[in-house]
Amino acid sequence: MLKYIANRLLQIVVTLFVFFALTYFILDAQPGDITLQYVNNPKFTKEQREALRRRLGLDKPAYVRFFQWMGNTLRGDLGESYQYRKPVMDVLLERAPRTIFLFLTATLIEFFVGYWLGRVLAWQRGTGLEYGITVVGAFFYTVFTPWFALMMIYLFGFTLKWFPIGKFLDVTLWRAAPKGLTANQIFINLLLTMTLLAVALVVVYYLTRRMNPYRASLFRWSALIGGAAIVVGYWAASPVAKYAWDILYHMALPIIVLTLINFSGTMLLTRTTMLETLREDYIMAARAKGLPERVVRDKHAARNAVLPVFTSLIISLPFILGGGIITETVFSWEGLGLTLLTASTTGDIPLVMGSFLFIGTLALLAHLVADIAYAFLDPRIRYA
Amino acid sequence: MAEKPLLSVRNLTMIYKTRKGPVSAIDDVSFDLKRGESLGLVGESGCGKTSVAMALLRLLPDNAQITGGQILLDGMDLTTLSEEEMQNVRWKRISMVFQAAMNALDPVYKVGDQIIEAIERHERDIDPAEARKRVEALFHLVGIDPKMADRYPHEFSGGMRQRAIIAMALACNPDLIIADEPTTALDVIVQDQVLRELRQVQKQMGMSMIYISHDIAVIAEVAERIAIMYAGRLCELADAVEIFKRPRHPYTVALMSAFPSIVGEKRPLVALGGEPPDLLFPPPGCRFHPRCPRALDICKQQQPPFEDIGGGHYLACWNPAPVAEVQS
Amino acid sequence: MTTAPAETAFHIQEPLWKIRLRIAWKGLKQSWALFTENKIGLVGLGIIVFFGLMALAHPILMHTVWEPNIYDPFIGNDPTILQHPSPPSARHLLGTDPVGRDVLSQLMYSTQSEFVLGLLAAIVTVTIATSVGAISAYFGGALDAFFMRLADLINILPFIALLVVLTAFFDFGMIELALLIGILSGFGGTTIIFKAQALTIKVKPYIEAAKVAGGSDLHIIFRHIVPNLMPLAFLNMMFTVTGAIFSEAALSFFGLLNLRMSWGIMINTTQAAGYLLGGWKYWYLIVPPGLAITLLCSAFYLVGRALDEVVNPRLRRR
Ligand SMILES: Nc1ncnc2c1ncn2[C@@H]1O[C@H](COP(=O)(O)OP(=O)(O)OP(=O)(O)O)[C@@H](O)[C@H]1O
Ligand SMILES: [Mg+2]
Repeated sequence: MLKYIANRLLQIVVTLFVFFALTYFILDAQPGDITLQYVNNPKFTKEQREALRRRLGLDKPAYVRFFQWMGNTLRGDLGESYQYRKPVMDVLLERAPRTIFLFLTATLIEFFVGYWLGRVLAWQRGTGLEYGITVVGAFFYTVFTPWFALMMIYLFGFTLKWFPIGKFLDVTLWRAAPKGLTANQIFINLLLTMTLLAVALVVVYYLTRRMNPYRASLFRWSALIGGAAIVVGYWAASPVAKYAWDILYHMALPIIVLTLINFSGTMLLTRTTMLETLREDYIMAARAKGLPERVVRDKHAARNAVLPVFTSLIISLPFILGGGIITETVFSWEGLGLTLLTASTTGDIPLVMGSFLFIGTLALLAHLVADIAYAFLDPRIRYA
Repeated sequence: MAEKPLLSVRNLTMIYKTRKGPVSAIDDVSFDLKRGESLGLVGESGCGKTSVAMALLRLLPDNAQITGGQILLDGMDLTTLSEEEMQNVRWKRISMVFQAAMNALDPVYKVGDQIIEAIERHERDIDPAEARKRVEALFHLVGIDPKMADRYPHEFSGGMRQRAIIAMALACNPDLIIADEPTTALDVIVQDQVLRELRQVQKQMGMSMIYISHDIAVIAEVAERIAIMYAGRLCELADAVEIFKRPRHPYTVALMSAFPSIVGEKRPLVALGGEPPDLLFPPPGCRFHPRCPRALDICKQQQPPFEDIGGGHYLACWNPAPVAEVQS
Repeated sequence: MTTAPAETAFHIQEPLWKIRLRIAWKGLKQSWALFTENKIGLVGLGIIVFFGLMALAHPILMHTVWEPNIYDPFIGNDPTILQHPSPPSARHLLGTDPVGRDVLSQLMYSTQSEFVLGLLAAIVTVTIATSVGAISAYFGGALDAFFMRLADLINILPFIALLVVLTAFFDFGMIELALLIGILSGFGGTTIIFKAQALTIKVKPYIEAAKVAGGSDLHIIFRHIVPNLMPLAFLNMMFTVTGAIFSEAALSFFGLLNLRMSWGIMINTTQAAGYLLGGWKYWYLIVPPGLAITLLCSAFYLVGRALDEVVNPRLRRR
């Protein structure tokens, strides 16, 4: 187990280095540089342009600049954004929590919904319900995301007016906010409470894993509901409840859209792996022991089928984070993805590199965490 | 008829519905099994042995259908039970050692827990500590270190897994244990050990056993009575000694001669030409007739009845081999 | 005993390729029978055929009933209509876009390039993945380790983010994009799938037989292993097409690609001209391209799933 984690860590470090290098050289290879913007600007003389180039370090050879850049990056200095005239690090640190919170929540919901539905689907083999859900699932799986998100905004934002449109908070409300309270503090606090809840749930899951499924699911559901109640109670009692609610309210539609887009992949894969697992001999053995169908399904078939589904989730994590660019853009959710896109289209190279690095690093970390979680799910790895 | 049989299978018929048509995997099979008795079921690969075992536990795939006959366990017809009632029969009354026993353990749970799961299923209010003790005793019985109960299946060797499966089959003290080629995946020495232990435990605990194999040499070691199956039907059933001394069905004769060393007697080797029939389109009449050296015209038209020819020796043949020919 | 009859018995009267063809044809017929059992796959195939016909119909319509300077997808403009965009009418079944071009014509024209893009990306992916997968599985060792680590690395990259960065800074057209997607997914996750499959083929007896018969490594890889990967390759192509069409549409939507027309660009034009905020009123600008992308992507995906049930016997019902 320790060896497995050490191995993964090493792999991540190497990958991270390659990733940094790749980022740097891709951007370095692009034709021209920032100073060309000013070529036709009469206020800028050639000398001033040269001075700017030197100041930006653009006159040194690529590899020297790479190592300089690498050193700076490791020290947390990502340069200055051309666009915002602030350190890139500051811009990104402000935006990362929004992305993390949105995607963590959406991914968790997506995974459980998809897994749960897929399990049901496998048991409905050959029925009309199966065909129906498969077609709907395939639609969501392949739907053109920006288009779908827009349609959802039209429907729930414009027509039904259930949810606010765009942005992640209500500006007028926040203008009256107490001094020193920033949206980021709330994001980070929300993230913390959610992590605590998740840890508690995992502990409950672990403690009940060997129980008979009826009792186990009783415990798990009460833990979920109880835990959620405590969290909601805590936030409701806190003085900033109004502001936290505002953020959550703005987050609802993006989460619904992200869940709808992503759950079907998990669902369809769960169905497939369940069908494969059902042919295993140990499923036959579980039936032969006289276990009821539901126990066979939930305790044996689903528990084994989750392994490949989880693997696929791990693989798709970078993709989900990258695909976040689309969702963030459509919802004007100012997270890392939207930052990357606007920086790319405006040629704000330091910010592009910074946000690309952030997204990539996040993807890697998520990958690592998921990998370790996988090891806990599969004894063949845990005790290897 | 002094004693009522534990299990009585009457004219059991089962098909698999496939794209190409029904596969007649079990056709008109009847036999009795007394308490504490062990019956060997022998036949070529694909003749329907596993199908019989699965039909007894009603663990058939979705496309299988029992189209006729009865399975009476202490007089209770299993074919008419509801799924819930059947679940109570499984493992408590009839348990099974699977053909692919190597993969019959769920890889994500500890082996001991999987056995406890079966015990707790059938004895709802058993104390966990007691269940645990029983698992350790069972492990001891089948010759595995009781500490291994806390290990996962991938940490077991093939032979150990096999024994764990046997321990699991014994866990609820069933009336009948079905062993479907439990040793084919093992090497010969381990095979022999496992076989002997299984037989010993079965005798000790007074259970009945159906032992399935395509290898008559193995069957000879464990079974008191032997049933010979061919293409979905039983062709002969008798005491082990009787079958070896006086086989009557031409197919049995051919099988015996393939293993001359068993009884140590010299016999003319009867070569069996041809292929086993395709159960999609079984031959009419006696299913063995295309390969039978003694086939008559009637064999091609009429199915021979499966009847007692004396002393509990059942036979389905129009033209049985004479007793003397084999005994010489 | 004479040798003559034996000789005639083994004499091959048909040329080898004919026999091969016949076997392939028989296999195809069987697979088709299995495929048609799955209604969902047939629906997908129907949608693909529908779009294929649309792509073919466009040039025909342009040469017959459609007046080129009105219906041209790039520069057409209908002078009889005063205000653009205009809602669907008899002359313009799906209305006109903000610049006055016919939406249906744009939609049909773009279909051609979507097919080219999807198929090209799929072919590149599958060509790379089969060769690399077969070679990795066959030789193993350092070569295998290298390709697998490379695949891991590509797997961990945030795909869309990478495409955004690349397309923002370099000039990407349809072909370049197809190649890029093909290379990334060919060396990435797809290779891992193909290698796993190739490993199961490698241990088959006929591979051993070919080795004993003195077949060279390359001969064995390309004559014995690769052909057996073909069903999987075919299946995988469907999924790659879905991915490629989706990526193109997303990048076009952001306005990052150097293309004249595509479904994604149609949405982008609508957005750039500010009609997205008009709500349902301008549905004819956004629903047709969005739905087209979704439908074609789903269609390839559904066909892929149905093929999966043909190729993978473990998923079959009987
Ligand atoms: N699910 C199924 N669908 C269709 N046909 C089946 C199915 N399972 C088994 N059969 C067919 O039924 C026949 C009997 O199979 P069975 O598994 O009972 O044979 P067996 O005697 O146990 O063989 P072996 O010694 O190889 O285990 C075979 O011809 C087999 O092809
Ligand atoms: Mg069998």
